[in-house]
Amino acid sequence: MDQIIDFLLRWIHLFAGIIWVGHNYASVIQRPNFLPPGKEDLGDEQSTVYMALLGREHGTFRYAAIVTWLAGVGMLWQRGLLIDAITMKGYLAVIGMGFWLGTLMLANLWFILWPNQKKVLGFIYAPLDERVRCARITFLSSRTNTMLSIPLLFFMAASQHGAALFA
Amino acid sequence: MKTPYDTATGTIALGLLLTLGLFLIVRWLVLGG
Repeated sequence: MDQIIDFLLRWIHLFAGIIWVGHNYASVIQRPNFLPPGKEDLGDEQSTVYMALLGREHGTFRYAAIVTWLAGVGMLWQRGLLIDAITMKGYLAVIGMGFWLGTLMLANLWFILWPNQKKVLGFIYAPLDERVRCARITFLSSRTNTMLSIPLLFFMAASQHGAALFA
Repeated sequence: MKTPYDTATGTIALGLLLTLGLFLIVRWLVLGG
């Protein structure tokens, strides 16, 4: 039964993680460079730029991030490895680094990107100048997570298949 | 202000550099500090 739970958590972890980070990668493909939204874009709720921003944000990736994190922590906890991974003991330092990178990404998403994105999208009121400023912050925050996903995936893979790298 | 994040290449390059740096740190930890 333990193995089945471990497998299910791993499957959920990968699936939810792709939904989450897939949004970041899609953003890099769709908008490789930062294009500051004009006041006309943010001021008119029917504009295509505004609606595109709104549509993207309304995805499920913020909650997929929580599911990803919980499934990852659940896997470590279920195997009794969580504390040693968090404290980076022995070979568990490899997945421990994955834990810390993932936690940083989750915090970045919820505590930096989302509060600013709410202003950009007009979910909470902010003057137009502020919304333009916040658009830049959300861009940098999103790209930070894209960048952090590269070492994160490295350490996830290395924790299972990278023993030769750490010998 | 431009940052490495302003291009896809810069973002990926930064990610690879960070991977290398963190790999060396974690390798050092795994091998006993």
